[in-house]
Amino acid sequence: MTHDALATQLADLPVRLLHHLAKNRVPRHFRMGKNRLIQSLLALSPAQQAEVATALASLLQEPARPPKPEKSAKPKRQPDAPSRQSPPHQRHSAPAEPAISTKILFEGIGVPPPRPFKPDDWQQEAIDRLATNDVILSAPTGSGKTYVAVEAMRRAIETEQTVIYTSPLKALSNTKLTEFSQIFGADQVGILTGDRRDNPQAPILVMTTEILRNLLYDAASGEIDMRLDTLGLIILDESQFLADPERGVVWEETIIFAPAQSRLLLLSASIGNPDEVETWISSIRSTSCHLIHHRNRSVPLRAAYLDPSGKLAPFFRARDIAHGKGFAFHPETKRLFANYEDQTLGPRYRR
Amino acid sequence: MPPAIHPVDLLRVLRHQRLTPAIVFLTSRRACDEAIASFEHRQIPIPPTRSAAITQVLEKMITEYPSIADHPLIPTVQHYGVAAHHAGHLPSWKVAVEELMRQGCLDAVFATTTLAAGVDFPARTVVITQSSVRKDRDITELTVNEIQQLAGRGGRRGKDFVGFVVVTPSPYIDLGPIANGLTNHPEPIDSQFVVSYPMVLNLLKAHTIDHIQPILEKSFAQFQLNQRADAYETKLDDVERQLEAYGQRECADWITQWQSFTLAKKHRSHHRLKTRHDPPEVSARLAFLTPGRVVELSKDHAIVLRQYRSRGQGYAMLTVVRSRGRIVEYPANAVTAVIDEVVDVAEARKFPWCTPHSLDHAIETLEHFPTRLRRLPIRVDQDGTTILTETLSDEFPCPTCPSRPACQKDHPQALKLRQEDHRLTKTIHALRTELWHRFQQHVEVLQKFGYLTPACQLTPDGDWARLIRINHSLLITELIRMGAFEGINASLLAGVLASIAHDDDRPASFLGRHPALASTLGQVRKIAHSLSAYEEPPLLRWDIAAIADRWIAESTLPWSELIRSTTMAEGDIYRLLARTLEYLSQLHGLRATHPGLADVARDAMDLIRRDVLQELP
Repeated sequence: MTHDALATQLADLPVRLLHHLAKNRVPRHFRMGKNRLIQSLLALSPAQQAEVATALASLLQEPARPPKPEKSAKPKRQPDAPSRQSPPHQRHSAPAEPAISTKILFEGIGVPPPRPFKPDDWQQEAIDRLATNDVILSAPTGSGKTYVAVEAMRRAIETEQTVIYTSPLKALSNTKLTEFSQIFGADQVGILTGDRRDNPQAPILVMTTEILRNLLYDAASGEIDMRLDTLGLIILDESQFLADPERGVVWEETIIFAPAQSRLLLLSASIGNPDEVETWISSIRSTSCHLIHHRNRSVPLRAAYLDPSGKLAPFFRARDIAHGKGFAFHPETKRLFANYEDQTLGPRYRR
Repeated sequence: MPPAIHPVDLLRVLRHQRLTPAIVFLTSRRACDEAIASFEHRQIPIPPTRSAAITQVLEKMITEYPSIADHPLIPTVQHYGVAAHHAGHLPSWKVAVEELMRQGCLDAVFATTTLAAGVDFPARTVVITQSSVRKDRDITELTVNEIQQLAGRGGRRGKDFVGFVVVTPSPYIDLGPIANGLTNHPEPIDSQFVVSYPMVLNLLKAHTIDHIQPILEKSFAQFQLNQRADAYETKLDDVERQLEAYGQRECADWITQWQSFTLAKKHRSHHRLKTRHDPPEVSARLAFLTPGRVVELSKDHAIVLRQYRSRGQGYAMLTVVRSRGRIVEYPANAVTAVIDEVVDVAEARKFPWCTPHSLDHAIETLEHFPTRLRRLPIRVDQDGTTILTETLSDEFPCPTCPSRPACQKDHPQALKLRQEDHRLTKTIHALRTELWHRFQQHVEVLQKFGYLTPACQLTPDGDWARLIRINHSLLITELIRMGAFEGINASLLAGVLASIAHDDDRPASFLGRHPALASTLGQVRKIAHSLSAYEEPPLLRWDIAAIADRWIAESTLPWSELIRSTTMAEGDIYRLLARTLEYLSQLHGLRATHPGLADVARDAMDLIRRDVLQELP
């Protein structure tokens, strides 16, 4: 079959059959429209084109196929079939609710009126638990972990204990130093870095986790006292660094060698297995460890899709992002993105 | 359609929908800088009142951190209300941008994803333009945790009713991973425990070797390994229960017994199988068909070059040379008669299976043979296959054992179970002792180098070496022991340490070569190479060393001048010098044992810490 003959034959086919032909031959064919499908089928190598031509001939020869696809499609539609585990993004085939509009997506933007601050229950629980237990606090970014840290510090220095606050980055240490100095007063907060000590006698000491690990080693070999006996609270911020390929070991060492009498407060972004970390810490420390796993964000999050043409669309069918329930793209987003890929994956922008 | 939305258009849309302030995560530092630059081309300034607010905050920051006073980006920030925030900037500038953001002065900050953890300021909106990042010259997809880390900056507590993630396509995007990252639960984290030389030394300083194993067992690594081992243990119990179900047999280890019995049977029957093909007359002849033997092949003579077995069926085969030098292969039963004549043929291992010389000789002899030659009379032995079962029952009780049918039936399954049993036992043992093994390996190296006594106590060298708690500690302590730092000056020491500390291969150039530095680095490189079996050698880039060296050697050099002499970003230089400070401070910690070196390190630290390096602790 010649190239042109094939082209005219393909043009007469319904899109469904074109997709059938393109399957396993054209990558991402399901995103393409009819014209693009025909183009990409014609752009295949001659050998593959010959295959397409034979497949096409066999398709045209058996027009009495309709009953068969229906049969094979039926069992798939059973929603409760236990054997079928579709990846979450394919669940949009049977939407339960209509997709939201852009207007609804952007409803309610604004600044809430100032309200007197009242700690959430989980925050209060974390602070209370810290009196007797080590605490792991796993909560999404920006949900108020620092509040817990500050309150815990306040309680510790009221009972004349020392607090060590560690962060993974020097830059974060500096930010925290400023923040804590504003809350507790500059004379109450000191910082230790590898080469410098500012106000090391202060009850609150900010440092990187490496520095604390070194202090603990020095203390173990009996070289410096570092007031470890008055050390009442160790706060490890960004504890998910435990899984950092290079530096994770430092967090482990710090937790293993932390003095028995001081409480540990681990602040961590959302991780998948905080309960595992909790069991571990409970198993190696004298007091048991309490896990507070706060999953909800304090400010709800919504997602939007912005096309390079400047058009905005909701990203998902539903307005608010729910975790662990799969997702369905908004039809408009799907359309815009397919369009975008069609155009940018063309010859000009092909990578 | 453009491959990505223009930053100015992006901000216009965000402003129009009241989605500002926003953090825009871009793929590279350069993309951030270009985005900022593009605002200058379009000239859409913000209202003067807001500019004034920005100026006010900036002025406050400048009094605290003078180094940002003439930062080239200040006019852009003032006029357009946007800023860039990435690792190429000085920390003081980043602090200023963060402060502006906290005060709500900026509409957008363009940042890179690589430092998402260091971006500690919230916004109403987070713009994501990529689903993969470059990591160590490789492109990897963003993990769920990383995407949530990015998205987590959206929505300010107390300042927003709702936060937004805006996804906008770029050539580095696929929507699937992003949607997945936004809606999925975060991934579990795994321990990344590594045993290092300083860890070994410090542990052995405080504890004896007998107490180390319990300490290692307290690690999260061992906790997770134990969990895996426990899972295997339950499997193992299950396997052992299944094995017990087979009950008692005549012999204690019936699986092994039966296995060797079947193996022996198979081996011998295989042997028999090969010979069985040969009819008795052929097998009787085989002993005579050695290389050099003259044979008769359908009225023609030939000389045997080799005898072999065909690969598939094991037929006896011959390679012969026939008249006119043809070398041909025949099955042994094609031989019609064996002649009482042997030609001298020197064998060889490959075609034509003899030396060329003897082949020529054979061909020549073949040509001159008379047509009739004396045939060898060969007696055919009809018997020879009945011995096998007798010998097997001599060695094995199995053929007559009462549990033979049961063994025969259960053996395949039981063998599989027992192999599983052994595999699991081995795995569990490996999991339980892995950390301890790694520790012991490090102990052996330290003993070899003389930091530990054979009884695993610290030697005098080990006692100070444990204070070097940084990467490449073995290299640094070895350099100190070899006296490589003796009589070194402050700038050279800092240069060497900087090149040891720097582990980024981002290209940089630095003009001018320093002979003393180059020769010292050459020595260090040699030593690092000799240690490469025990410790990954550092990059030891001389251009990096030269930057640190220059900053210290020229104590009046202003920061801006240093920046101009290299293509490195100033944020990178800052981090390099900060790390060098850290390394120097470790050397300074050796003042009890190496006062001279500690003093030089102290000098170098004092010289590094000036200008912008003084601003932040």
